[in-house]
Amino acid sequence: MVDLQALRQAEHGRRIRFGYMWALFCAVLWGLWYIPGTVVWDLNPFDTMYADIAATSGDSMALVVTAILITAINAVTVVIALLVWNGVLGNYGEMVRTAKAFKPCSRWFLFASLFGGPVAILGSYIAMGFGGGAFAAVAALLYPVVGAGLANAWHGEKISKRAAMGIIVIIAGSVTIFGGGMITELQSGSIGWMGYLGGLMAATGWGIEGAIADKGLDVSSADVGLHLRFIAELGIWVIVALPLLYLAGYNVFSYAIQAFEPLTMLMFAFAGVTFGFCYVSWYKSFPLIGVGRGQGIANLYGMFAVISTILFFGDVPQWTVLVGGALCIVGSFIMFSEESLELETLRA
Amino acid sequence: MSNLPRKIRMMEIMQDGKEYWNYEVIEQTMKDYGFQGEFSRDTLNMDLIELAAVSFIKEVDLKVDDEGVYKKGFLLHKYVITEDGKARLSEACMNAI
Repeated sequence: MVDLQALRQAEHGRRIRFGYMWALFCAVLWGLWYIPGTVVWDLNPFDTMYADIAATSGDSMALVVTAILITAINAVTVVIALLVWNGVLGNYGEMVRTAKAFKPCSRWFLFASLFGGPVAILGSYIAMGFGGGAFAAVAALLYPVVGAGLANAWHGEKISKRAAMGIIVIIAGSVTIFGGGMITELQSGSIGWMGYLGGLMAATGWGIEGAIADKGLDVSSADVGLHLRFIAELGIWVIVALPLLYLAGYNVFSYAIQAFEPLTMLMFAFAGVTFGFCYVSWYKSFPLIGVGRGQGIANLYGMFAVISTILFFGDVPQWTVLVGGALCIVGSFIMFSEESLELETLRA
Repeated sequence: MSNLPRKIRMMEIMQDGKEYWNYEVIEQTMKDYGFQGEFSRDTLNMDLIELAAVSFIKEVDLKVDDEGVYKKGFLLHKYVITEDGKARLSEACMNAI
């Protein structure tokens, strides 16, 4: 006689582990994304583009216009990375079907792209351009609070005390990691209000995006949904934002053409792959463990951003980084160790 | 042939409120889309698991697959659509057509 309940629990445990695994993949890749995201600001043509626009329209405008072009090219490489991904999975047919089902599915991905692209990713790039990768990463750390709160309010997603505690500890750890660096950046006066605005856009944008996308994801597949979301974002940039900038007198298209040089393209390819797959993992974790937990674990990206900054830029970590990193790990273990049967269904 | 996204089609198969084994729904869905192979089958099973996680369908029975109708030695789940699932489906299908 086979113990059915034991088998059932084992199978259920596998589902939860998969969900956490996807969220963790997301964190690692997300942490890596800050490398190309920061480097690209110093490459051709963005350094000259920034200087040119700053000379006529001021620093703030230069920052926003340059960030829009960078975000738009970022969207192009993410769409290409996902084309490969969905091609391998044989999902093109499903993509067409999901896109056609506008009200139940693709409508939500369109909304998600509005908050994810022009709000969150643009905000992140603005923060990176202004205060560097570390500042941009810390500024966005609060997004799971927004995401978990909205998922609870909109679709009654359960947040256990334990999950809430884990999220809080991870946020505390992440803030500690960047605390030291941020104080230095603040003292040197390199962060202005635009940088803060960018950070705020990232935190609220990603939180809202997660909660909205979850609504479309409950009846569609994550790989497909995400791809549609990025195609929609690309549309917003190419059809709306860039032409508007062009009409306003900023020759963004000539800068876009200049971006076709090996090093710049290599950085965007790196950004597309890390960001595309970080996003796939993010979306895949939501239906398995919920928006709150998925975003909470993905928030470990703060720690991975520090590790990749050390590896690629050679910045030596301060003691705050070690304490903060330890807090992040403790927080995620609080969430991992949750009794998995509590997660049998994700919604109340 | 169905023009609906996979998960919506699977709920549509179950919309009569009867209880279905996962392999029954999967088999029908594979026929609808002309899918073949184990990868598609496992993908569709994952879709069912995700639908259950958001309470659109719920598990009512389970047994071990002794005969290998789906995957020998694995658990088979019997599901029924929930009120939430029906509500989401009616919203989905009304607008998808």
